[in-house]
Amino acid sequence: MGSSIFYFLGFVSIFTALMVILSKSPINSVLYLVITFFSIAAQFVLLNAGFLAAVLVIVYAGAIMVLFLFVVMLLNLNKEYEPHKHIYIKFAGGIAGGILLVTLIGALHGSGEIADSTLNGEASYAASTGTIQNLGKSLFSDYLLPFEISSVLFLAAMVGAVFLGKKEKSSPKVSAEKI
Amino acid sequence: MTEQYFSGLRIELFLTMLILALLVGKVLAIKQNPIGTLTLISVFLISSIGISFMQNESGYLFGTMFRTNSTILFEKAILLAGTFIVFMLGFEWMKKQKHFLEFCMLLLSTLLGMCFMISSGNFLMFFLGLELATIPLAALASFDLDEKKSSEAGMKLILSSAFASAILLFGISFIYGTTGSVSFDTIASAIDGNNVQKFGFICILTGFAFKISAVPFHFWTADVYEGAPVAITSYLSVVSKGAAIFVLMPVLYHAFGRMSSTYIPALILLSTVTIITGNLFALRQKSMKRFLAFSTVTQAGYLLLGITGNNTEAGASVVYFMLIYIFSNLGAFTVVSILQNRTGRDDIGVYKGLYKTNPTLSMVLLLALFSLAGIPPAAGFFGKLFLLSSAAGAGYYVAVIIASVNMVVSLYYYLNIVKMMFVDEPEITIEKLKPAVTEQISLFICCCGILVIGFIPAIYEYIYNLSAAI
Amino acid sequence: MDATQIIKTIPIEHYVILSTILFAIGVTGVLMRRNAIIIFMSIELMLNAATLLLTAFSTYRSDTPGQVFVFFIMVVAAAEVAVGLAIIVMIYRNIKSIDINVLNKLKW
Repeated sequence: MGSSIFYFLGFVSIFTALMVILSKSPINSVLYLVITFFSIAAQFVLLNAGFLAAVLVIVYAGAIMVLFLFVVMLLNLNKEYEPHKHIYIKFAGGIAGGILLVTLIGALHGSGEIADSTLNGEASYAASTGTIQNLGKSLFSDYLLPFEISSVLFLAAMVGAVFLGKKEKSSPKVSAEKI
Repeated sequence: MTEQYFSGLRIELFLTMLILALLVGKVLAIKQNPIGTLTLISVFLISSIGISFMQNESGYLFGTMFRTNSTILFEKAILLAGTFIVFMLGFEWMKKQKHFLEFCMLLLSTLLGMCFMISSGNFLMFFLGLELATIPLAALASFDLDEKKSSEAGMKLILSSAFASAILLFGISFIYGTTGSVSFDTIASAIDGNNVQKFGFICILTGFAFKISAVPFHFWTADVYEGAPVAITSYLSVVSKGAAIFVLMPVLYHAFGRMSSTYIPALILLSTVTIITGNLFALRQKSMKRFLAFSTVTQAGYLLLGITGNNTEAGASVVYFMLIYIFSNLGAFTVVSILQNRTGRDDIGVYKGLYKTNPTLSMVLLLALFSLAGIPPAAGFFGKLFLLSSAAGAGYYVAVIIASVNMVVSLYYYLNIVKMMFVDEPEITIEKLKPAVTEQISLFICCCGILVIGFIPAIYEYIYNLSAAI
Repeated sequence: MDATQIIKTIPIEHYVILSTILFAIGVTGVLMRRNAIIIFMSIELMLNAATLLLTAFSTYRSDTPGQVFVFFIMVVAAAEVAVGLAIIVMIYRNIKSIDINVLNKLKW
């Protein structure tokens, strides 16, 4: 039962991920990406990482994708405006991605080491791994310093985004109203 | 107990205080006084350099999160000095900006990120430091809000760095999966070099190659350098690259120490390709900033070659080279900044016949270019000598020969600019420029650095003794 | 549902292959498309491939660092997207296009 859900979700996430990069209009891409995130969040639930699943849905599918959607609509990009582009660049991109995939799977194929030697296996599985209590505890004890750094990171990103987004009143070339 | 935290994190705490002070100043809308702000920043930076030489105890804080020792503190001092010079050389441009305080704040927070990155004993800390060091830089690169080129630079920087960090993270996931830890110590003891780990390592190396703009991951460099404001270009090419190189050494020597048979060939290949390609592209640049960008790419190749030495000597030679490189490159950028500010142009033609009108500036540029090219009286010669000898000491003669041949090739384009300044007739008439006080300070520091460091062998010995602890 | 069942029935390699495929799709998107927003979304795909891999490893080993790492990746991605989209909006205001070919003055 669990495994069939995994394969179904895997199929959904691969299909929607492909649609993200293949669909013509940015709006469709955003919506497909939201579905991809939901399927990955469902994978997290399967993996007993409920907290991360919730954060993924709230932060990614909720906040970040809405931001994307907002920008796409604000700039009125929901038409097919992507100009003519050489087919061979697309082709080269596809080939490069394919080669990467083959290399990766080839590298993984020759190594059964992940499974046997290094993983604990189900015998010692502790169900409390992904719980909020556990994560919260380690976040505020072992990972205190990274947590503080991330607050500085947010501060810097906020300052940067605010001054970039500010419209300069003095600048003469702003003529959005006329267009 | 707490003293240990204060003394271990002293530079970071200082920088955080400064950032918060600037933020409070901005929020309370205290009347903007650029010179006062600059003085405040300079005092903080110089005193941070001072305290970085105080009692250097080594050890870990917060578990294995934060690592400190005398080499790391010295590296931080180099970065702080570089940032100080960047503030000096860019002040004439900065003070005209409306968002001067934001500019300083963002620049200092990237510096804070670099300090954390250098000190990281853990991939998580490393990743956060790296992001703190790049995300604000993208905002800074697009600081000229009306300049199309500048916003282009910002976008290219953030797209390429986000791409690089995604690759880096993918690599880190594999390393975590096979060793069960993200801390350098545990990785070092658990790693055994199987295919999955090799793959993860290659991903991590790719992420690094993006950050230090090694070929073939350099395509963003020239555009970003050309479009960004000069102060940011110089910061990117010196401080930001220096931090990435400094953190690459412990990651390679320490965490991946057992995989040296994998990473050394990769590094040699990367450095050879980087040196050759950087040289070829530098030959045909018409814009001075692009020219310096490719010159930076080439220098990154030499640094990578030095790292392959894989011993104390290699570590010392890399730190020593960075120290010299900061002064030489920032010296060149100061002159570029002065000329671009006054003439509004940055193509090589401006430099024709510069000696006739501005002898001092041309002498400084001459010195900086000599140092970058590695011509004996300037310090850059010794820097490159030590890098190459560390690689030769490890027995990579072919790579060293290729690098030496390329040093000769690079003489052509460096000397070409020197020839333009001293021999050619001026294309446009530039009146005698008078650098502002801050720019004079920057010129003076850079000249002293270039001339003095090469002639005092004690500096190299000092660094060598420190680097025993890498 | 209990994760023990998942661990029993699905080998870790399948998670590795799934996230590798997602990652490769992301890389292909970055290389193929010229629209800055779609490139950004492809990068988000790559990041999510990494988070899926980390979470899977973390559960299979039943230790926390992997999941904490995922949490920080999300934090960083949010900051990155905020700055990146601000730059895109600014560019659009300046030149009315976000096709990176229009911006491109790549002279090698």
